[in-house]
This record gives sequence, structure tokens and C-alpha cells, in this order.
Amino acid sequence: MAIFPKKFITYIIGLGPVIFLYFLSITETNTEFSNYFEIVSFNLQLIIVYYWTLKAPSMLGSGNIFFAGVVNDVIMGFPLGTSSLTYLVTAVVATYIRNVTVNTSLITDWFTFLIAIFFANLTYLILISNFTDIIVTYLDLFYNSFFTFLFYPIFWVLFSSYKMLLKGAS
Amino acid sequence: MASNRDDFGIAIRYALLQKGAKHKFSLFFLICISILIFFLDSFSSNIMSNVRSILNDSIYRVSAVSSSPFNFLENLGKDTKNIFFVLKENKYLKAELRELKKRDFQTKYLTNENKRLKEVLDSKNDSAVSYVLTKVLLDKKSPFLKSIILNKGRRSGIVKGMPVISKNYLIGKVVEANYLSSRVLLLNDLNSRIPVTFGDRAVQSILTGIGRDKPRLEYLPENFEALDGETVFTSGKDGILTPGLPIGLTEKINNKLDVKLFADPNQLSFVKVILIDKDTESNF
Repeated sequence: MAIFPKKFITYIIGLGPVIFLYFLSITETNTEFSNYFEIVSFNLQLIIVYYWTLKAPSMLGSGNIFFAGVVNDVIMGFPLGTSSLTYLVTAVVATYIRNVTVNTSLITDWFTFLIAIFFANLTYLILISNFTDIIVTYLDLFYNSFFTFLFYPIFWVLFSSYKMLLKGAS
Repeated sequence: MASNRDDFGIAIRYALLQKGAKHKFSLFFLICISILIFFLDSFSSNIMSNVRSILNDSIYRVSAVSSSPFNFLENLGKDTKNIFFVLKENKYLKAELRELKKRDFQTKYLTNENKRLKEVLDSKNDSAVSYVLTKVLLDKKSPFLKSIILNKGRRSGIVKGMPVISKNYLIGKVVEANYLSSRVLLLNDLNSRIPVTFGDRAVQSILTGIGRDKPRLEYLPENFEALDGETVFTSGKDGILTPGLPIGLTEKINNKLDVKLFADPNQLSFVKVILIDKDTESNF
């Protein structure tokens, strides 16, 4: 009798990263703090995609990554597919890193995340500056990438604790 | 060396083509789909723009509903904070009201004089403007794009290019009109360019968004001596925006002339879209 609720709770906790990814894409939740500090903004979606593809790929399906990107494009007003491509490139780098490494720590994850940010933002910049009329300043993109990289360890700790919670629940 | 290259190739191929329980599609397949929809959307065909319009309308509604509990909590916090300042604000508003009443007499006199002068010049009276009052559905901040989503679209007569005002101050213009919703590009967005006029000498300039709260005045006359506190209005030189819409006050910062907007772009809840006749629409 008690098995069902436990299974259900484990299932719900397991959906956490997907829900969080869609939540960030669809709601008005901001990771931009220009009202307080003019240059501070970061891309939390990239951190989620990278961490969960690297650590527990079964919790974040590639289809969900694609659709979260499409939703994000609609809300932000970018051409459809821009964010999807950015997230998928991050996922490719994370899968590659997972395939070529055995034991990873926070430091290795953090520095390999730099490669993912580089390729993701390069893709974004190529698409936006060559195929659309949208103007993006390199400085803003640099600040965004820098703070995304800087905040990664905080989320690494948070997500690792969440993963432990999930292990405990199952 | 060749072996290293092979390992790299295998790992990349595996990363791109791998499928699993939750990975029903390979990353390679999804990347191809993303590229395809990106190009279809960028070089928009009629079918794609209709698909995009339906997608926008439905996702904006879902987003507004899912954001509402958080907005409610945020507003509750703001309202509670405001209660503590009611007395102080009341005193300030009473003083402001007295000042405005004085100015109102002056404005009435000037309006009548203006009307008479126009009659003398036989000029067309263009002050009759119609509006659509709309609610801000979404206001998601982004470091790259400053825009808001409105809850009315083509069904209410809104089309691309129409000016949008808040408390009679210009805040931006419509850049995307769906059937039930529309997107407004704010004046402080990097992509915003508005022809304006300001000061006693009616200096012509272009108000350019720089991605910060205060847009900048560019293409000023040579050797121009900038002054603080001059009111900036739309000039209507583009033939689209209504001339004379107030925008903000000039602020001289490090030899650059910024504009402090009258309407705070971060505090918009209800705005008006100025409806322009069909002939002007063709310029958008």
C-alpha cells in the first residue's frame, strides 16, 4: 500500500530537472539582475542542460531540451530553433565529456563547462548576427557567459544535493 | 596521433547518434530539426508565419497563467511595502495637484490659442487619435532583448509598427502582431531607433537603445552643446510615429546625451497602442 506513494514521490523528484527547465523557459522568472547590477545576467538553462546531461542523462531527455528551447525562443522573441540549437550543442559537449572521462569532480566539470559555453554562445552568435536583424553586443554576451561560468559551482552543489535526495528516495 | 583522432571521432559520433530510454531522438536528428525550423522561421514564408503566430498566442497564454502565482506574490510584497509610504506620498501628491491645477489653466489657454492659430493657417487638426488599451501579459527580462508581450493583437486592430504609450509617454513600438497578442520593442532595447526632437531649438536626433535603462541620443548636430533636463519628443520624421509624443528628459553623462524615460520600462502593467490608419501601415 505504501509502495505507490513512494514510487510516485520518486517519479516526481525525478522529473525535477525537466520541470525546472520548462519553468525557466515558460515563466517570467529572470536570471537577469540589471536593476541591481547592470552587467549581471546568466543563463541558468545552459547550466541545467550541461549538469544533467553530464551527470544523469536519463533525467533530461533530448526531446525536452529541444522543446524547452523552442518555448524559450517564443517567449524571448528569437527565431524558432535558436535556443534549441544552443542547448543541444551544450548537450553534445556534455555527452562527449561523459564518454571520454571516467571520474569527474567539480573542478573538471567546471572547466569543461567553459568549452560548452564557448560552443553554445558561438552557435548563438553565428545564428543571430548572420541570419537575423537582431543586434547583440559582444560585451553583453561576454558578461552573460562569464557569470554563467562563475555561478556553475553553486548550482553544481545544489544539483548534486538534489541527486543525492533522489538516490535516497529511490 | 591517428588513434587519438579516431577516439575523438568515435566519441563525437557516439554523442551525436546515441539514443536511450529518455533519449528517443538522437542529438544529431534534433540539431537538424532545429536548423531547419530556424531557417524556415528566419526567411519566413506565409505558412511559417501563421504557424508562428498560433504558437506565440498559445505559449504566451500558458506563460501568463504559469507566471501569475509568482506575479501575485511579487505584487503583494510591493503593495505591502507601499502601505508604509502612503502618508508621505499623500502629502507629495497634494502639493503636486496644487501645482498641476495652476498649470491646467495655462494649458487650456494655450490649447485654445493653438486651435485659433491652426484655424488661421487652415491646418488639419490631427489631435484625434484612437487607442487600444491593453494589459502587459509578459515582461520577461533578457540581457539581449527588452520587450513586453501585450494581450491584444490583430483582432483588436493592432499591426506591426504602431506606437505604444504608457501614461501618455512613448515606451516603444509593436514589432510582432499575432492574432491575439503582440510584442512591443521597448525604447531601451539595442534594436530600437526612434527619430526625436528636443530643446528650444527643436534639435533633430535619433533615440537609440543601448540595452541599459536609459537610451542615448545619437546623430546630433556638429559641435552641439548638450544640456540637461530638456524634454524629448517624437519628431514623426519616419512617417509612422505620431509627432509630439513625450519620451523623457535629457541627461548629460560623460559627453554623451542619455534620456531618462518618463515611463519606467520595468514597471509596465497597462499600456495603450495608438491605432494608425491603413495608409500609414504600408510604410511599416
